[in-house]
Order: sequence, then structure tokens, then C-alpha cells
Amino acid sequence: MKDKIDTYLKKDKRNISIIIIALVIIVFGALPFYSDVDSFFAYYLFLCLLYIILAQGWNLVAGYTGQISLGTHAFFALGAYTTAIIWLNDVTKTWYYFDPLVMIISGFVPAIFAILIGIPLLSRLRGDYFSFGTLAAAEVLRILILRGGTFTQGAMGLRLPAEGFTGMGIYYWTALLLAILATAAVYFITRSRIGLALRALSEDETSAASHGVHILRYKVLAFAIGSFFMGICGSLFAYYLFIVSPPAVMNLNWMFLPILICVLGGNGTIFGPIIGAFVVGALFSYGDVFVGQVHPMLSGILIILVMKFMPTGIMGLKDRIFARR
Amino acid sequence: MPGLSFVPQVIVNGILFGSMYGTAAIGLSLIFGTMRIVFIAQGAVIVLFAYFSFWLFDKLGIDPYLSLIPIILVSLLIGAAFYYGLFKEAAALKDRIGSLLIAVGLMFFLENFMTVVWTPNPRAVVTSYGFYAFNIFGIHLTLTRLIGLLLAVLATVGVSTFLRKTLMGTAVRATSEDVEASTLMGINPDRVNAVTFAIGIGLAAIAGTTMATTYSFDPVYGFEFAIKALVALTLGGIGRVYGALLGGILLGLIELLGTFFVGAGWSQAIVFGVFLLTLIFRPYGLFGGPSEKV
Amino acid sequence: MANQLLEVKNIDVWYGDVQVLREVSLQVEEGTIVALVGANGAGKTTLLKTISGLLQPRKGEILFTGKPLHNLKPQDIVDRGIIHVPEGRRLFASLTVLENLKLGAYIKRARTNFDQSLKRAYDLFPVLEERKNQKAGTLSGGEQQMLAIGRAIMAQPKLIMLDEPSLGLSPILVKTIFEFIRTLNEQKATILLIEQNINQTLKIAHQAFVLKIGKIVMSGRGDELLANEEIRKAYIGERVRKQ
Repeated sequence: MKDKIDTYLKKDKRNISIIIIALVIIVFGALPFYSDVDSFFAYYLFLCLLYIILAQGWNLVAGYTGQISLGTHAFFALGAYTTAIIWLNDVTKTWYYFDPLVMIISGFVPAIFAILIGIPLLSRLRGDYFSFGTLAAAEVLRILILRGGTFTQGAMGLRLPAEGFTGMGIYYWTALLLAILATAAVYFITRSRIGLALRALSEDETSAASHGVHILRYKVLAFAIGSFFMGICGSLFAYYLFIVSPPAVMNLNWMFLPILICVLGGNGTIFGPIIGAFVVGALFSYGDVFVGQVHPMLSGILIILVMKFMPTGIMGLKDRIFARR
Repeated sequence: MPGLSFVPQVIVNGILFGSMYGTAAIGLSLIFGTMRIVFIAQGAVIVLFAYFSFWLFDKLGIDPYLSLIPIILVSLLIGAAFYYGLFKEAAALKDRIGSLLIAVGLMFFLENFMTVVWTPNPRAVVTSYGFYAFNIFGIHLTLTRLIGLLLAVLATVGVSTFLRKTLMGTAVRATSEDVEASTLMGINPDRVNAVTFAIGIGLAAIAGTTMATTYSFDPVYGFEFAIKALVALTLGGIGRVYGALLGGILLGLIELLGTFFVGAGWSQAIVFGVFLLTLIFRPYGLFGGPSEKV
Repeated sequence: MANQLLEVKNIDVWYGDVQVLREVSLQVEEGTIVALVGANGAGKTTLLKTISGLLQPRKGEILFTGKPLHNLKPQDIVDRGIIHVPEGRRLFASLTVLENLKLGAYIKRARTNFDQSLKRAYDLFPVLEERKNQKAGTLSGGEQQMLAIGRAIMAQPKLIMLDEPSLGLSPILVKTIFEFIRTLNEQKATILLIEQNINQTLKIAHQAFVLKIGKIVMSGRGDELLANEEIRKAYIGERVRKQ
């Protein structure tokens, strides 16, 4: 009898969360109809959605493989450059601006890059080096871009034709869709049987080693999927900025902020990165406006304070509060 | 193609420059080896000490090699303070993400702090003997760079001796191998970690003085430097003191020879290419097998 | 009751949400060998870890020479005179035998008598002196166990806690290890011992406690328990059948 009630309650709980999620998506999805999407607030939301996509991509790798990638900015930039290069060189003969084909290719290029560096770097022997390796791979990419001649225009960057721009609506919706997809990907992959097994194994490296090669395959796959989302996110950002240059897309903030977002929100949780993105987005975009020049110094202090006093993040804080009751 | 007769000079310069990477890499290696912290702020800390040296020279006229002594003493205290104030909890939990982020936060803070205090303009300590140089077999050797190499070698020998010959050094090596087992020996892990951190930051002070006296620096140079130190560390193999110095020197050689033959930009690509190849084919570094630590 | 060196009083220990020890009490009299027996997962290792400070009890107290211990850090507990030789020995494989022994005498009290302790360890295990400059990781299993015990006595402990010292050793070596334990005890060391090898353990133990799913279910003199029908059936018989 008690079991039955429990199942009902569980089902009920699940239905409620589905309803809440659907409501949130509708509220956000309909935003352009009742709010001015060209306002600063909407810019802030757009930025938060980009952060969510990147943070979930990173979250997938960290949660799934237990490894810290320091190459998010590289995958993001690779996506942006792929879009720009396809467009400017007229490769696909399609319409380019918000062209799904171009965006998907811009996701696949970083995914392939991730597979190439993931195979050596994710094998257990090199576990300690994964962070360094992704960082170095990003540096190699930066140099290739800077030295790419007319292909990448070096430090100047590539300028995209901005005639197609009609308003922020499409940016917002695309970002929202991608954020939902990325979150769903993390949700389903980490909850799959292999996902659960890998999560257990990431805490015990010795037994992971004895499982050998196919573990590596799934880790690399997770890394590739994460990079795929980062690349599409970069593509979207290229459409937004119309300039793809190293300072714009290879900025280290694109690497550090997603990590901060995941940790602030609650590392290893599905919704943590979403909460984290809104908090960090607010602090940084409004910090820029109100504090100005000193703000990177403050953000440094902020990161330190968060990590020191809230190492389990906002989601962890919630757990702690509930546990006390 | 410039004349090949310059090659010996480039090699010497590479060794002299690389020894600075090596000094930084030893510090990173110790900190990573015992606490699993990727101390990405090491470069920013080195630049901070370079500014200390610059400032004492500029304002008070104190010779940089004289000021190195108080700077090292201060750096040891700063290192211990970093550990107790910032990294203690993350190190205890072996929380690599947490400690990495704290290091990033520290780097952000220091870079911007230095920009506010000392402006973004490049600086250098220019002493009266800064241009004094020897010519040996046609190779030009400046005094300050030679002193830099000497300091790097002394620091390496010093750290290595400390780790091998003292009880505290042995405890550092034991802790880097198994923290729990070392606490069961009565070793206080916080004390060991603080000592390790202090040494790592002390090495940064030495690298900072060399940087100030031989090259120019600005507030954001530290990040690039830290990445290079990570490369040097990987070439040398994590946890090897002499390996880190050799890795640094090798990196300096690759970088300067690359610049000489193919230009500055591509030489960086070669540096990271070698780094990635090392990771793939020799994950324990170029100088030995996996068994040894620290 | 004679002179109690260690008194564990009603401790509860949790691993996160799981309670591993329930109201466990145990006494170790000075100069004796006390055995702690029970099936895998009964909480034996947890109890040792709690005594050595790696885990904290949620409830209850631990007294050592009459003073409370359960709020101290592991390193301070070593300083009080308890040494824990953990399961799997946990030697520092990349350090030499001599360096391992030096770390055994890390605490200040032990450092002053280092030469004397080293001689004692070498007398007990001459092979350690032969191999003093060899890396600990290159020793054989038996030699590693000798080093682990040698390292423990370097701290000049009042109480040595051994967690499965015979694990993974050949039967002949197991016998040798048990002889060493008895020798140590004759040299006035108090020993708290966890063993799978219940038959031999109960033979050398003055006192034994049986732990079952986190609770002490029985205690008594070693030979008493060895004669106990229930114990024979539950632990010794089972092992015989398995072999």
C-alpha cells in the first residue's frame, strides 16, 4: 500500500516538474511578444542563454568524464570561424544567415576536433593532463587563427555582411532552443545506463581503467557532444556580432565563465548551470555597466569567495537547507 | 634565411630564457604533485614579484639582486597565506575544479590589481650593469641573463636537496603519494601543503626577479607565462624537479629556435604542437618512466 | 578491570547517510593482543579508522589512557601513541625503505629516539636493513608487510592497530607475520588486530570482539571464543567450507 502511494507521489512530482518546465519554456519562448527584445534586459537574457549552452556542454564533459576542460573558448571560436569561413567563401551555396546547415556544420567541426584531441587526452594515463591538453589545443588554435592569412584575417578578424539583420527575436529563440536542447542532452545522457555507470566510474579511476577501451569511447563521445553545442553556440554568436575575431570569440571569459556558472549553480546537477548562468550573467553584464574598469578585479574576488564559502553551489546550498529541516 | 652562424647564440639564449620557465615549472609541479592544484595564477604571481622588484628599484633604488632576499622571504609567507587563506578546503577535498577556479580568480584579481597600480605599460628593471656582457667564442652573454640561469640552477638544486635530504621534504613526497597514509604517520597535511605552496611561490619570486632584470613585462603577461610553465612541466614530467628545469630549457630552445627559423608566431604553434605530441606519446614526460614522483 | 589503554564507548559512525557502527563499545587492556573479528562489511575497518581519527563518531566517546581522543586530528592521535597500519599497507612506494621508516618516526617524540627505534625495527626484520635503499614499491608482499609493521614501531606507539596484516600473503608468510605480532606483544606492545584468519587470530588474542553489521555481538577471551560453537559455525566453519 505504502509503495503504491509512493509511486503515485513520485509520478505526481514528476508531472509537476514537467508542468513547471513547460511553463518556464512558454514564458521564455513568448518573451519577444510582450517585452522589447532589443532592450538591454533582453540582451542580458540572450547572453545568459549562450552561457547556458556553453555551461551545459562543459557540464556534460565534467559530469560524464570527471575531467575539467579548459578548451571551451576554442570550440566556441571554432564554431564561429567555421560559420564565417563558410559564409565568406560561399562554400555551401545556401543563404548563410541563420542557415541550419551552416550552423550544424559549425557544430560538427569542433566535435571532430574534440574527438581528435579527446582520444589521447581522455585515456586514463593522461587524466592529469586533460586540463593542460585542452588549454594547449586552444592555444594552437589561437595561433592558427592569428597566422591564418587571408583565410582568417589574423588579429583583425572576419567581418560578416550584416544586411540580413532584422531584430533580436530570432537570436533569442535560437538561443533558447539550443539551451533547451543542450540541457536535455545532458539530462538524457547522464541518466542513461552508460551515463550512470560512467559517473560511478569517474569517482573510481582504477576500476575505470579495468573497463578499458569502450569507456574511452563514451567519454570521447560526451566530449564531442559538448563541443558540438559549443560550436553551434559560437556560430550563433558570429551571427550576432558580425565580426569573428580572436579577441571577440577566443576571449578567455568564454572558457572561465561556463566553469564558474556550473560550479556556482551546483556542479554535477542539471539545473545548476541554468541558475548559475542567470546569476553570473547578471553580475557580469550589469557589473560592466555599473562598476566599469575595476570589475575584473571584483569578479576575481567573487570567484574566490564563491569557491571558498559555497563550494557546492546554489543547488548544494538548497540541499543543505533542506537537509537541516 | 638568416645566417646559420647565429644558431649557437640562439641556442644559448634559449637555454638562458628557458631556465626561467623551468623555475616556474618546478613550483607548478610541486603544487600540482602534492595538492592536485593547477595553479594557473603562477604566472601572474611571477609578474607581481617582477613588479615588486621594479618598484623597489625605481622608488628606493634597491638593487634587484639585493631586493630578491626580502622578496623571497615575503614570497614564502605569501605562499603559506595562499594555502591557508584560499586553497586549504579545496585541497582537503581534492576538489580540482574548485582549486582551479580559485586560482583563476586569483589570477583575474592580480592582473587587474597590477593594471590599476602599475598601469598596463610594459616595465623593466634597467640597472647600470644591465648591459654588461661577455663575448665567448663569438657568443654574446649578458651578465643579468647568466645570473638568471645561475639562480634557476641554484633554486633547482636547493629544492631537490630539500625534498631528498630533509624529513619535511620526505614528508612532502609522501603526501604527494598518499595523503591519508601520511596523516597516519603523524604528518600534518596542512603544514606540508603550506610548505609546498611557500616553496612554489618562493620559486615564483626568483623567476620574477629574473624576469624583471632581463626582459620586460606587463600585467597580463603572466597567463601566457603560466601556460608555458605548464608546457615545461609536461615536457619534464609531473613531479620531477630536474625534469621541470630541463623541460623549461627545452621549451626555451624550441621557442627561440622556432622564432629564428620560422618566425615568432609559428614558433608558438611548434611549442604547443610539441606539447600535444608529448602528451600523446610520452605522458610521463620526456625524461623517464611513470614510477617516480616528486 | 585492569589498566585500560583504550576505551571505545557507545560510538555511532556514519558514512554520509549510512550508519556503519551502532553503539560500539570495546576495551583494550595494556599489554594485550585484542582481536576484532567479523564478516566483510561488518565495520571493522571503520572502527579502526574512527579510532585513528580518519572518521569522526557522531555519538559516543573514545578514551585513550583515560583522555578523550575522538575530537583530535589523525596526526595528533599518532602523537598520543596510537599507530594505525591500514588495510593494504599503504607504503610510500616511490620512497626508499629507509625513508618510509624515517616517516614512521615523523612525530617529535619519536624523532629523538630514532636510532634506537631503527635498530629495533632492523632487529625484528633484518631484511629491511638489507634493502634500506630500495624503493618500497619493489619489495615483495611479505617484505612490504614487514616494512609496514616496522614503520609502525618507529613511532614508538603505545597501541598498534593492524588491519588485515596477512592479506594477500602465502600461508607460510601468514604464520611468520603472526609470530612477529606475538613477538611485538612480548616486547610490551599493545595490539588491536583485525584479521580474516580467525582461527590463528583467536589463538594469539587475549581478548576478542565479534562485530556483526555494525554491532558488537560477542566478546570474550580468545580461547573462549575459539571454543564457542556459534563462532566456529559462523566464521571458522564457513571459511573451511570455502577453502
